Amino acid sequence: MKPPPQIVAALFGVAALAVFPLLAPTYYAGLMIPFFAYAIALLGFNLLFGYGGLLSFGHAMFIGFGAYGTAVMAGVFGVKSFELALAAVVLGSALAAIPIGLLCVRYTGIFFGMLTLAFGMLFHSFLFKFYYVTGGDSGMRIPRMNILGLEFAQYNKITFLTGPFYYYCLALLVIAAFAMWRIVHSPFGLHLRALRENSRKAEYLGVHVRRFRLAAFVISAAFGAAGGAILGFRIGLADPELVYWTQSGQLVFMTVLGGFHHFLGPVIGALAFTFLQDQLQSLTQYWRFVLGAILALLVIGFPAGIAGWADLANWRLKSRKAAA
Amino acid sequence: MSALLQTRGVGKAYGPFRALTDVSLSIEAGERLAIVGPNGAGKTTLVNLLTGLLAPSEGEVYFKNENIRGHGPVVLAERGLARAFQLVHIFPALTVAETIAAAVITRQKKRWRLFSNLAADRDVAGRVAEVARIFGLERRLDTVSRLLSQGEKKLLDVASAFALDPEVILLDEPTSGISTAEKHGIMKTLIAAAERAGVKALILVEHDMDLVAAYSTRIVAISEGKVLADLPPKLFFENPAVIEIVVGKRRH
Amino acid sequence: MSAFANIVLGGVFHAAVLFLVAAGLQLVFGVQKILNLACGSFYALGAYFGITFVGFAIASGMPAWALLPVLVLAGLIVGLVGLPIERMLRTVYGRDESFQLLLTFALLLMFQDVFRFFWGANPRSIEANYLVYGKLAGGDFTVPVYNLLVILAAILVAAGFGLFLQKTNYGRVLRATAENRAMAEALGVNVSRVYAAVFTAGTMLGTVAGALVVPTAAASLDMAVELVVEAFAVVVIGGLGSMPGALAGAVVVGLIHAYAIYAYPELELLATYLIVIGVLLLRPAGLFGRPAT
Repeated sequence: MKPPPQIVAALFGVAALAVFPLLAPTYYAGLMIPFFAYAIALLGFNLLFGYGGLLSFGHAMFIGFGAYGTAVMAGVFGVKSFELALAAVVLGSALAAIPIGLLCVRYTGIFFGMLTLAFGMLFHSFLFKFYYVTGGDSGMRIPRMNILGLEFAQYNKITFLTGPFYYYCLALLVIAAFAMWRIVHSPFGLHLRALRENSRKAEYLGVHVRRFRLAAFVISAAFGAAGGAILGFRIGLADPELVYWTQSGQLVFMTVLGGFHHFLGPVIGALAFTFLQDQLQSLTQYWRFVLGAILALLVIGFPAGIAGWADLANWRLKSRKAAA
Repeated sequence: MSALLQTRGVGKAYGPFRALTDVSLSIEAGERLAIVGPNGAGKTTLVNLLTGLLAPSEGEVYFKNENIRGHGPVVLAERGLARAFQLVHIFPALTVAETIAAAVITRQKKRWRLFSNLAADRDVAGRVAEVARIFGLERRLDTVSRLLSQGEKKLLDVASAFALDPEVILLDEPTSGISTAEKHGIMKTLIAAAERAGVKALILVEHDMDLVAAYSTRIVAISEGKVLADLPPKLFFENPAVIEIVVGKRRH
Repeated sequence: MSAFANIVLGGVFHAAVLFLVAAGLQLVFGVQKILNLACGSFYALGAYFGITFVGFAIASGMPAWALLPVLVLAGLIVGLVGLPIERMLRTVYGRDESFQLLLTFALLLMFQDVFRFFWGANPRSIEANYLVYGKLAGGDFTVPVYNLLVILAAILVAAGFGLFLQKTNYGRVLRATAENRAMAEALGVNVSRVYAAVFTAGTMLGTVAGALVVPTAAASLDMAVELVVEAFAVVVIGGLGSMPGALAGAVVVGLIHAYAIYAYPELELLATYLIVIGVLLLRPAGLFGRPAT
């Protein structure tokens, strides 16, 4: 939603991310893969929430589609190429999102939240019901796959994840962010924001409220699945707990933490959350409490999140310069 | 000249309550029609029926000779029927330019362009600037809508409707909430804008009879769900019985 | 026949507990328009605290028959935690629904570790034996009297609430505030106090439900998270904000739950969610609710 200074910040961010594994301890570099996964998934989520005004408590379902879809591609269809699996789950998730979305976008607010929560949990119980395919509680294995056609067999798991796969995911994030940037700044993006602001007036200006919400829903599903594929590949497992409704809640948390009014807010939120959770877990066994308290403070005091705080700091800096 | 907007025997009932009965109107190009009547008479219901927000219980509504049954505001906006609201409707977080652009996007059929850069689209930007100039909002283009004054918000609401390049535009109490001093200025702006934008017919719902007298070419009075009178202003204002009902019943 | 009776009785017991939680949800939503994602946490809180309180009571010489009232008391006491929580929620009244949902979600996260801290990560069971009330035998099935007492309690609560809301002055005040907060304020209603009272009452309903269920099931960390989905199912089926809806929805969900456990265990949650989705699509207002946008 904001012009170019963001692009400068983003380029700086990409550069920083690129050098990170070279400078930081391996452990921290290893934390980054889930960050990349969540960042991509959240870019999609925020299209629906920040830009479209629809709060979904079922987004984790699409991450689940991505993870389980990859497991099926690799395990059942013997696909070795990660790109192929990625493309398949993104497409599959988008297609699956169409009927689900058609049903959900009839509503807004709490009903939309509840419907998405219900669908997410429905998928969760499917995973247990069809345990002979999905492995039920134990999940489905995801073997090592080829990146860009290469096996990287000479790398062990850690060096692979903090080396070639790290940069691969960074590239995926950049591509995903670029795509989302274009979507958000397109005529479609403006219409989406308009219908968030005032759906009645938007209709009168020719905005197809339901169709556009559905489109946003489907796009968010595609991004979610991409994140899920990366996450599943990293863990080596598609786990039903990925899909539980509290995971969806966590996604919302990350987005709000980073700032949902900003394009890069969710990405910042994913990064902040990843490190926050890691640090807290090493400090106390009651890290969930601290996270909950942070979320509460955010909602009560500063819902604009980290990006909002950066905005404020930036504005203060500018007014100080102007006054000087 | 066939009618632009037409209702044939249109009625609307909510259960036992009758909002409108047997309204037949024909609106032609070049008309500035004022719809008047006491509160609760059915004016808003009629407007909702004309703009596709409600479906009639009886009768049909035709826009450019096509039955609009089953089509909502979105489709009608595409086809050239626009509406501005009585209570100001804006997009609080969008700027003036973005609000007008939303309508221009519809008009230029760019809604489904997911990957094109809106900021770089000169066709859109040009038209936005043009519409803003007509309504005197060109200096407020980058202002966020919720920061505008009440009068500016009203203008924006109407401006965005005009940006659809509609053939027929329906204005629901366009000067409500505007100070008396400004009312005439606003009406003149609207009519001039309509002419420049090539709007063929203007429909106004108004309470202010001075404005109605000065700016309309035809007055339709609605009372208790029925058409009470359908006359040009001169004849309308010569009819005391009609005036009394429209302006308000005498106390008994 | 005995299977059928067992299903019905099991279902009705489950429904009774669900009704109490759902009634709390409905009360709070009806008056304050807040949907509380932490309702399951209150339920779990009541369960855990009930265990501790009863343990303490037994050590102080509680007679075996006093189990039920002691549990109810435990629920009511710990339900007072609703007061400070409502004060915190006050900061987001009038803001977008999303923020309210998020704040209650934050509460849920915090409560999970509160439970861990006080009661540990493993499931906990109560010391007392609820069979002290004996069993009722009828034909070829038996049911613990305790279960019947709980069902009776729920019915009394339902009836009591109904009467309260319809017949008493304060009940009218509540309904007025639910309809139109601004108008109620203009008429001199101290809305802040009403909100505090309502939220605390809603919390207590949840904690008492948790306390009552604990003799028949262990208290665990999962309780808080799992109940939310079932409670939502109840209020959706019954209609958001409606008390009769809470009763109807609870009966439906309770019976499905019991039947599914008997016939198709894997189907249990599935059936519930399918019905929720079905209701939301076909009749979003639920059985008793008013249509929402």
